[in-house]
Amino acid sequence: MAYDLLIRGGRVVDGSGLPSYVADVGVKDGKVVAVGKLNDSAARRIDATGLAVSPGFIDHHTHLDAQMLWDPYGTCEPQHGITTVVMGNCGLSLAPTRTGIEDAIVKSFVRVEAIPRFALEEGVKWNWHSYGEYLDNLEGKLGINVGGLVGHIAVRHNAMGEDAVERKATGAEVQKMRGLVLEAMEGGALGLSTNRNERHMREDGKPVASRLADDGEFFGLCDVLAERNAGVIETILGRNKIEHFEFYHELAKRTQRPVLWQSLQHRWVEPNLWREQLAAVEPIFRAGYQAYGLSHTVPLVRHFSLKECQVFDEFPTWKNLMFLPVEVRKQALGDAETRRKMRADFADPRPTNFHRNWNIPKVEKVFKTENQKYVGKSIQELSKMQNKDPLDAFLDLALDEDLATVFWNANNGGDWNAMGEILRSPYVLVGTSDAGAHVQFGADFGYGTILLGLWVRERQVMTLEQAIHKLTFHVASIFGLQGRGLLRPGYAADLAIFDPKTVQAHEPEWADDYPAGSKRMVQGCVGLHYTIVNGTVIHEDGRLTGDLPGHVIRGPLYRQQKAAA
Amino acid sequence: MGVSFVPVARVGELSPGSMKEVDLGGRQVLLMFVEGKYFAFSRQCPHEEADLKTAGQLLDGTTIRCNNHSYCYDLRSGECTLPKGAAPLTVLTAEEKGDEVCIRLEW
Repeated sequence: MAYDLLIRGGRVVDGSGLPSYVADVGVKDGKVVAVGKLNDSAARRIDATGLAVSPGFIDHHTHLDAQMLWDPYGTCEPQHGITTVVMGNCGLSLAPTRTGIEDAIVKSFVRVEAIPRFALEEGVKWNWHSYGEYLDNLEGKLGINVGGLVGHIAVRHNAMGEDAVERKATGAEVQKMRGLVLEAMEGGALGLSTNRNERHMREDGKPVASRLADDGEFFGLCDVLAERNAGVIETILGRNKIEHFEFYHELAKRTQRPVLWQSLQHRWVEPNLWREQLAAVEPIFRAGYQAYGLSHTVPLVRHFSLKECQVFDEFPTWKNLMFLPVEVRKQALGDAETRRKMRADFADPRPTNFHRNWNIPKVEKVFKTENQKYVGKSIQELSKMQNKDPLDAFLDLALDEDLATVFWNANNGGDWNAMGEILRSPYVLVGTSDAGAHVQFGADFGYGTILLGLWVRERQVMTLEQAIHKLTFHVASIFGLQGRGLLRPGYAADLAIFDPKTVQAHEPEWADDYPAGSKRMVQGCVGLHYTIVNGTVIHEDGRLTGDLPGHVIRGPLYRQQKAAA
Repeated sequence: MGVSFVPVARVGELSPGSMKEVDLGGRQVLLMFVEGKYFAFSRQCPHEEADLKTAGQLLDGTTIRCNNHSYCYDLRSGECTLPKGAAPLTVLTAEEKGDEVCIRLEW
């Protein structure tokens, strides 16, 4: 067979979680057609010797609903090996809509997802009403594959207008919403999302519409999915509480659909919460239902020196010291009475976000040769090496280096063992990139490349095969993305080719590529050499090719309708 | 142990609700005049480090909201009021001393 594309000699990590193996991959007509030792001709060959070849990653938690209308790649998704994205999370989608409610939807996106209003006003043309029509707008204009959830907020505004942010729905309005959800599912939605987060308000300070729904309304909408045995249910309830698991259990049992909840992360101030969450979700799975917790891969690490430090701002004496001129600060940090007050701050039993555990902060970088031996040591270890109290050891080292010593601290995600257990758990869905949201405040396109670089290569909390499974087939299975997520003959040729020895996300940086000439944050990557969508290379060593091979990925009810027709 | 008063503005310099950027020991601080009082606080939101100079929006009274994720803080105490219990905003004591507005740093 003559292939369109032949990828030679790579280490195939096929997304199943099974051990990888060296093989060639033959691609034709957008699909993988052969895996093995292949010698046939090909229109294009890629030498993948020394590289890993895997299914393209699936970013299931994005807010690219608007961005995909002007950016066919959802940049920077392809730069990180992502070939498919799911929009419409957290109750927010741009459809269904009708004349007059567009601004209510915009108000919600602007505040909840911090997407600038001017970008939405310039980039969203509202030439659709139903969810299916919205997806139709994307057909043929995509560099990556795109699917979406229908958001409860748009559904509620559609049925109730502005009353959606004022009151409970009547029975007739719930019925209308059920009809809209069904129409969206038949138009191609992959599921339904809702938002009950008490922090989530509209631009005008009113709660987002879905927050006013009672359980009866929400369950009524979810029943549409249950009755058709299709789609996922994505939720955000706000602060993590163990009581929430009764709700997840009831929802999963009632609908027998996969339920997604946010979120699960190790935090030093609540060091056992993640374990309690996993323990709470286990009975749901044991009973035969699914309620996956979303977890991020990016630890909230802070690198700091005492020249500029916010880590200790919760402690009054420490805080004031950090705003003093450096020379005055140095003098104060060496003073025994000041240190006594600093200790007293730490001894105050009120709860703080800083963990007050000297085993966690580490010496990251020193400037004097004689201090090199302390690099990588925790402050507790430093204190033992110097036979000093930890606070004295910490401050003395910093003072010895004119406050330039760099320390490492993590309040969230810093416990490697905990993060390993979280990320490996079969009940956890990895990735909350929020791509397309909070665009002027951060960029987490690289959750997958961070998983591969930080957690697989550097910290070895899971194998490459496990990580790729988490980024691909695990997601495809839960979301019902038929024919994607595995590197096997017959599956879509959505592929990532990367170097496991070097792959890593860059720190986010500013770019001038947003509508109306405005700025946003983007994120690059090293070691991700090719991203291939439906058999076509869209990203090659840091450069987008300009090809648009992406498909709209529509859900099972659409497929059934189409088959019946 | 010590106390320092760092002058950061002239009395009357700030109109109600306006902000002034101040560098204190290398850290960025915002000074705000609200309801007849001065409030000084870190420019960085403690949640995910958004710049409150652009993301901060004063709500009723002395509550400022970071428009990145809608976290709200009481400027008097720094307490995170929404969601309750999250990391507080770093606030400093600002007071008038004669014709000047000063930040009081005590250690």
